[in-house]
Amino acid sequence: MTLLVAGGLGFLGLAALCLSLGRHHQALWPSPPTRPRVLGLRAAGWTLVALSLAAALHFDGGAFGPVHWLGSLIGAALLLVVTLSYRPRALVWMAALAVVVTFGAALA
Amino acid sequence: MSGSLTLAKRAAVAGRVVLAVGGGYGIAALATILLSLTLPLPRAEAVTAATLASFAVMVGVVVVAFAARSLGRAAAILGGLALALALALRLATGSFPFGFGS
Amino acid sequence: MKQGFRQSMAWLHTWSGLVVGWVLFAVFVTGTATYYRAEISRWMQPELHRQAAIGPEALAHAADLAVAHLEAHAGEARSWFIGLPTPERPLVELFWRTRPGTAPDHVLLDPRTGAPAAMRATKGGDLLYRFHFELHLPPLWGRWIVGICAMVMLVALVSGIVTHRRIFSDFFTLRRDKAAQRGWLDAHNVSGVLALPFHLMITYTGVVTLAIMYMPWGVTAAYKGDQFAYFAETGQITKARPAAGQPGTLAPVGPMVARALATIPEPLERLVVSNPRDANSTVVAVFEEPHGLSHEHPQVAFAGTSGTIVEVLSGGLRPAAKTFTTMVGLHEAHFAGPALRVLFFLCGLMGCAMVGSGLVLWTVARLPKAGTATGFGWRLVHTLNIGTIAGLPGGIAAYLIANRLLPADLAGRSEREVQAFFGVWILVAAAGAAANAWLAPRQAWRGALAAVAGLFAAAVLADLVLARALWDDPAWFLGFDAVLLAVAAGFALISRKVDRFRAPGRARREAAAAVGTPRMERA
Repeated sequence: MTLLVAGGLGFLGLAALCLSLGRHHQALWPSPPTRPRVLGLRAAGWTLVALSLAAALHFDGGAFGPVHWLGSLIGAALLLVVTLSYRPRALVWMAALAVVVTFGAALA
Repeated sequence: MSGSLTLAKRAAVAGRVVLAVGGGYGIAALATILLSLTLPLPRAEAVTAATLASFAVMVGVVVVAFAARSLGRAAAILGGLALALALALRLATGSFPFGFGS
Repeated sequence: MKQGFRQSMAWLHTWSGLVVGWVLFAVFVTGTATYYRAEISRWMQPELHRQAAIGPEALAHAADLAVAHLEAHAGEARSWFIGLPTPERPLVELFWRTRPGTAPDHVLLDPRTGAPAAMRATKGGDLLYRFHFELHLPPLWGRWIVGICAMVMLVALVSGIVTHRRIFSDFFTLRRDKAAQRGWLDAHNVSGVLALPFHLMITYTGVVTLAIMYMPWGVTAAYKGDQFAYFAETGQITKARPAAGQPGTLAPVGPMVARALATIPEPLERLVVSNPRDANSTVVAVFEEPHGLSHEHPQVAFAGTSGTIVEVLSGGLRPAAKTFTTMVGLHEAHFAGPALRVLFFLCGLMGCAMVGSGLVLWTVARLPKAGTATGFGWRLVHTLNIGTIAGLPGGIAAYLIANRLLPADLAGRSEREVQAFFGVWILVAAAGAAANAWLAPRQAWRGALAAVAGLFAAAVLADLVLARALWDDPAWFLGFDAVLLAVAAGFALISRKVDRFRAPGRARREAAAAVGTPRMERA
């Protein structure tokens, strides 16, 4: 369960960080990102990644928390990179799915 | 990086490898001994902590050996480090343990 | 090397990675497979039928049967290792070594009758597990070679991180529409950077598992080299009880098992009997690790002749010792449940991908220009690359196929399986080397990888045809076969990808032809 919550938050955070880069921003939007948008995406991204760490620590404590956090973050990053390379447009519904999974697992 | 390496360059690379491997392991070993004997912890804890850290020490020394501007400089840095550790060991124990002449 | 820090680190990264790359690839592949060592062993002995829980009486009885067998067959051995039955693996597993330097003897017994278990002889997942740190060489040689390679890997990781200017943007970038070199560089960057915490952790903790062997000087200085005293003082093993030199009789171990089970609330894993025929014999009951990151087996030591408890080890490690056992625990990941284990496995695969793509990158970046011959160094690296990256997985597939094809009662059966493993590995490597004479590098890669994919598919086929009748849990075996098919599909996919990469020469010529519409090459 921790893996799903931390992984979902991590996926969303990494996706935001990655969309703040010019190359990947243009996979979803026609133009390069504006400066405020870059800053907004970065802030949102790091916040979500920090939240995923906080969630892992909250659920699993100081020993297993970091292990589960890094594991789920690496898994989420792998999924994100493969999606970006092969189906960048799928990011839209995958982000929505990540939100659902995160809340579903957190409430379950 | 390709075929046209001169003999001098090859020798310099070989020298760095020898220096990094021998110096890296030697300095890591000296640091392990020094910390094992001097860390203010129970004996088993000091040895464990020193041994765990030793591999990071070795990696650091290897990086320094390859990053130094010239082979001579690298040798000087590593030699200095080894000498300092050996002297500290001498001060801490009153002798050079095993094989370093006591 | 009169360049800046970054260039010297780039040089160090390239060459340190190359010289140990082949060993590292083998260590990563077999280590990654070892996350599923128990599952591989189970698949390779389909005769094994799992049981419901095993009660304390049954366990004590099994231990008595084990000792009876060892008294009869291994009286001269200095120590006996008795693996006790579990519901997952209801077998008694015995190891002993009669003379130092010889291979240990190994027997599997039925825990209810004490008769040798009726199932095919195989090393199972243990072959890959031991290869992971001993390379199937004499243990001392293998462990030192793997340890040295792991240290060089640490250096390669550190210098690789330093070399990287843009870790952040490379994190997300896998360009698949550019020339071959770009593709391999991206694959190397992504697999290296994504799982970087794992790579650093697994390499450092890997060296730490054998730390006292690689760096014994602290123990030499503080304990005059007595490693047993050191390990006992850290609380990782029970105190050594030297042999008295007078004969003694081992008390029944059944009651000791019962008392051990009453002392520690974990499943009992194995017994170790030291100096079984001495007046000062010792029986140590070793339990499974309690839930936690740390690799810490609770232990109860008995005086062998009287059966009284002499020592109980259960937790209570001090901080440095706890750090040490936690590092070992992180490396082994015994604590990982199914989902986390999958993630560890994926990280291991990314490690394989990082090392493999790094090796290929070296050759792709130095592809000879059209019309010039390849140098000896380039051909050597290319040949070793194919021999390792395709050869080792091919050998593993052959090991699984041999497990299904060889008759169950063949003499020396488990050695034959190992021979199939190395035989096919060498065969693939030799074919790859021979193919250099008349095939372009890309075609050699495509053929070798396709052959590996075929071998894994054949392993599934052999299982379905020859072992289906033996499965105790068809869904489990089908699941394992599905994973093998996924591995086969993975190799088939890479084989196709390699084929579709355009060599730089051709890409350049096409770019020159299309000079009217220059495309921005964004780095």
